Amino acid sequence: MSEVQETQPQRPGMTWLNAHRRIQIFAYILVTPVVLLILGLVAYPFLFAIYVAFTDRVIGSVGNWIGFANFQYLFQTATFSSAIWNTITIVVVTDVFKLLIGLGLALLVNQNIPGRGLLRSLLILPWAMPAFVAFLTWRVLYQPIGGGLNLILTQTGIYPHVIDWLGQRQTAMPSVILASIWRGFPFWFISILAALQSIPKDLYEAARVDGANAWERFWMVTFPGIKQVVIITTLLSSIWTANAFEHVWLLTQGGPSDATMVFPVLAYFGMQTQRIGEAAAVSVAMLPVLAILVIVATSLMQKDED
Amino acid sequence: MSASQADPVPETKKSGSVLDERSKFMLGRVLTYGILVLAVVLIVFPMYWMISISLKLPREIYRTPSLWPQVFTLENYRILIADKGFLRPILNSLLVSTVVTVISVLISSFAAYSMVRFRYRFKGVIGRIILFAYLTPTSLLFIPLSILMARLQLGNSLHGLILVYLTFSLPLSTWLLQGYFRGVPRELEEQGMIDGLSRLGALLRIVLPLSAPGIAAVSIFTFTGAWNELLLALVLVTSETERTAPLALNYLITSDVLPWGPLMAGAVISSVPLMVLYFIAQHFMVQGLTAGSVKG
Repeated sequence: MSEVQETQPQRPGMTWLNAHRRIQIFAYILVTPVVLLILGLVAYPFLFAIYVAFTDRVIGSVGNWIGFANFQYLFQTATFSSAIWNTITIVVVTDVFKLLIGLGLALLVNQNIPGRGLLRSLLILPWAMPAFVAFLTWRVLYQPIGGGLNLILTQTGIYPHVIDWLGQRQTAMPSVILASIWRGFPFWFISILAALQSIPKDLYEAARVDGANAWERFWMVTFPGIKQVVIITTLLSSIWTANAFEHVWLLTQGGPSDATMVFPVLAYFGMQTQRIGEAAAVSVAMLPVLAILVIVATSLMQKDED
Repeated sequence: MSASQADPVPETKKSGSVLDERSKFMLGRVLTYGILVLAVVLIVFPMYWMISISLKLPREIYRTPSLWPQVFTLENYRILIADKGFLRPILNSLLVSTVVTVISVLISSFAAYSMVRFRYRFKGVIGRIILFAYLTPTSLLFIPLSILMARLQLGNSLHGLILVYLTFSLPLSTWLLQGYFRGVPRELEEQGMIDGLSRLGALLRIVLPLSAPGIAAVSIFTFTGAWNELLLALVLVTSETERTAPLALNYLITSDVLPWGPLMAGAVISSVPLMVLYFIAQHFMVQGLTAGSVKG
């Protein structure tokens, strides 16, 4: 509470309470613009989205309260079921791979090896690339005609036939996932690397003196040191991956025949058909799961802060 | 991976067969570099492909594809800028991203400073609201925001776009700046105030300059966030003159003919400046990156 104890030499006549109050008012004034804008631009639209999801609003008409009818309708449609399973698949598979690749590369780069600075810079390049550029580039790579991936596979003789990666049901989802991993793993790499670098070197020495082998050292020293970061990164990455729009939109637009349809793309299509209530219901449908992830993540992040 | 924590110096000091330790160490190094080089190749290849397609003639892109362009041409860049009018979207993107960054960093630094330095009622609640806002995905907000912007007569305008981009840039920059401000010692500010600075003066003259690397990093993250945004632009902007760079490229692929050359030229133009910026500034950007602070 040191701000309370502050003396204000210029205003000797001021009482303790007044000085304290002045500082409080100043603090509130500073924080007010951000709070107002967030209430107006995030909190209000958020609640409004939930409300609209329970109405039959269309473009040009505000609509009426219809309870859970939008949700009941959605759960009967095949596209919505595809979106559920595709979203879960993309989140789980990409997060597992991003964790493994990010952790593996972070452990390698954390060694005292020549050139580690340059390697680190190169490994985070996909993170610096705008997502829309990354996915447009992968779209070109996946092309049957003139795509780099087919060119490499046919010219090296790994697979002789040209594959329409994004155009077939079996290959579309793995292709979207591969591109998402490529763009997303550097964030894990860099977060885990930062955590690794904050582990004191003595701990490894101590473990070594105690006779722990490399595997035991990983579980006794490395893992506890990075656990918190891995948990927070997993939560954040799940939230962001589940709500990502660009990867699917720019690669497949949800196709072929809903093979890669995910919630945000479905909500966007819903909006294009002008049935706003239904579209809002699509994005609100994942809210219960999302809310759990967000609440756990915020409490961990706030704890982390102290 | 198992050798990853091995520091070579104590390794050789240890008793036992020196040669054995040495060859084990060499093998570890070879494996390490092997894997890292493979990873770098997999990372760089798509970027190489993007650049090489942008420099190829159409016949080399579609008919006789090759790994290396036979004839280098800037024709794709000419088509993109002269025929497709890509200069306008780039300027729109620059304008929107710059304004969003300046507004966010300015008012977020006030809020972050207030939350780091002072104690008051509702501070915990405000902190939580900011974090919630940070984690609230755009996919949940784009429908109500488009209704709201239409109501405010701000649909289909760069002003509207700037306003809605504050939904993600404000929580992000406030959250990050709090971390940086916590590192500025309170004593320096108190010293400044004894020397006659007001509270606001202490913030502007002492805290902000001392957090300059942090503010630069937050500015780059905020700028990047606005520069990369597609979904809100897609929903809000309808007329061609108000398109941002991602939006203009998005409309290039939804047309019937897919112009890969100009598309990749646009990709290069939209990404190279940012990637150079990251490359130069990465030291303090990575430094300030606490767990999960920036969207990946």
